[in-house]
Amino acid sequence: MARRPCSLSALGLVSCLGAGAAETWRRLTAGDASRLSQRDDLAPEKTLLVGAVREPLPAVPARLARYACRNNALTLAALEQIEAAVRAALSRYGAARVGVVLGTSTSGVGDAEAAIAHHVRTQALSPTFFYDQLEFGGAAGFVAELLGLRGPAYTLSTACSSGARALASARSLLALGVCDAVVAGATDSLCGLTASGFGALQAIADGVTNPMSANRAGITLGEASALFLVTGEADGVQLLGVGESSEAHHMSAPDPDGRGAREAMEAALRDAGCAPGQIAYLNLHGTGTPLNDAMESVAVAALFGERVPCSSTKPLVGHTLGAAGALEAAFCWLVLKGREGGELLLPPHAWDGARDPALPALRLAAKGERVAAPPPARVMTNSFGFGGNNCTLVLGEAA
Amino acid sequence: MSCAVRVLAVAAWAPGLEDEAAWRAWSAAPGALGREGVPDARFLPAMLRRRCTPLTRIMLRAAFDVCPEPLRAEVRTVFASRHGSINESIELIEGVARSQPISPAKFSHTVHNAQAALYSIATGNRRASSSLAAQEDTLAAGWLEALAHLEREPERPLLLVQGDVPLAPTFAPLVDEPVGSWAVAWLLESASGSTADGEPVDVALEPAAPGDTRPRRPWPEAVELLRWWLAGADALELPGPRQRLAFRRGATHVAEAHAHR
Repeated sequence: MARRPCSLSALGLVSCLGAGAAETWRRLTAGDASRLSQRDDLAPEKTLLVGAVREPLPAVPARLARYACRNNALTLAALEQIEAAVRAALSRYGAARVGVVLGTSTSGVGDAEAAIAHHVRTQALSPTFFYDQLEFGGAAGFVAELLGLRGPAYTLSTACSSGARALASARSLLALGVCDAVVAGATDSLCGLTASGFGALQAIADGVTNPMSANRAGITLGEASALFLVTGEADGVQLLGVGESSEAHHMSAPDPDGRGAREAMEAALRDAGCAPGQIAYLNLHGTGTPLNDAMESVAVAALFGERVPCSSTKPLVGHTLGAAGALEAAFCWLVLKGREGGELLLPPHAWDGARDPALPALRLAAKGERVAAPPPARVMTNSFGFGGNNCTLVLGEAA
Repeated sequence: MSCAVRVLAVAAWAPGLEDEAAWRAWSAAPGALGREGVPDARFLPAMLRRRCTPLTRIMLRAAFDVCPEPLRAEVRTVFASRHGSINESIELIEGVARSQPISPAKFSHTVHNAQAALYSIATGNRRASSSLAAQEDTLAAGWLEALAHLEREPERPLLLVQGDVPLAPTFAPLVDEPVGSWAVAWLLESASGSTADGEPVDVALEPAAPGDTRPRRPWPEAVELLRWWLAGADALELPGPRQRLAFRRGATHVAEAHAHR
């Protein structure tokens, strides 16, 4: 059965690479790793290299003060970029037919940390802290209230696959006929809890993350928001395939044989109705941890061999956790939108070039690499979350 | 929007309410649910039991009760909880504020999909799984995400588990809601699903109408839905702040229509 169209019709995004599609695309394809910065306020007695958003963020309006936190300010920065498209959808379809599905793994934890520290010191709640800032559902509730959307508003939180999953659910809401347009994507913000937590798991690299390298030693944390307006239009970049799997393996480690990752990619290809040979580019989960890269390279090589050009963009923006699935779908969207005649320009795999002999070889994209891909081209992005929650998406140009 | 599903089974857990007979008795004279308490977790392997939070035990107990083998490993799953593992996150953050080291295992269990992950590990389930939250509309959002998964794969049954435990005392004063420790689990199949079992139900979801208010009950709306189901009544409307959720039994309707002809 042919699926209904699902168009990713407008994109707003902010990460350490900057705000907006143009700036992000320029720095992404240039492999500009200079955007990461040192922070000494995230983990006790430790300086961390992170992908922090550098721009001043817009203020959450005073009427929504109970949602005022960095996570929602990041959402607002991305949302402002697609406001015209969202307003047009609202007037075309009506507020009752527009919904929002967001992914996040942090919500406003960063701001809650200050409130909790205040409580530990004084046994009193800070007057500027509201539970709406911290609870996961508040991430979507903020957008719905800000825009006056009357459709469904909910937050998916499945660790590092949250953002990909939000796009999958948006497509289902269109198919179910609940919505005519959905604001969908994800936001995650840097905070002490994730910095301390991943630190305790010894999962944070000392320098910049180095995915697929023999010298890889962990992740680089980042923060971002990437939001799409998702509609049933038949043109533009389409969400063609969704593949999901669970690992039934371990809370914080993937199955080393890559079975769950492979199942997600295979399911996404089936759903998109395409063969591995039709994928022009793969954005890897590529976290730079020894285990992720080992299992992901096994799964990718089994399915694609060395044919598909791929890259992990995490050395440039960091691992934005709950936002990663949406941010990396946004990078895939930019790859398709950046078409140069019969070719696509690819984001480079920025690493030290030290291939790990223990891993099957992948075709890792070099800076400035272009791939021949006659339209309509299809690209894929992988997201694998804690607890073994996997989601792979296939995006493509409209046929 | 209205969508037809079939209910294959339902199960629930709250302190002192551990089986259908107990829930039926409670339904006849309902009141606030117990705040504290956890089910015994002998159904879980000892290795997993150790790390289980109260919410995980409660949600998994309802999930295991509603979903028999061999279906446990085959269903898609949706876990809906307003607060999820937030109490464990708060505890870790309080620890950091007191300069205590963070436990890596505890940190892994603070993800909102901790219950879904433990379910997958305990049952060997490799299927798609969502975990979500939607403030006071978490019940409606859980049902909607369940319908979204049935849309993606209509031939596969789906397990919907909803639950919460009381919010940690630090933040509890900030949230006005019926408090209790509870989970309700539904085993669902799409109307076009592979078996002909179960009771047909129409689930409708509409934006809240102006002036819609949720009746104040001492128990959560997810439990009110269970109460309706056990009573065998025809229809139920659950208005929320953002969404209005409505249920109507399909089978009785069709049967009555035929009987009157």
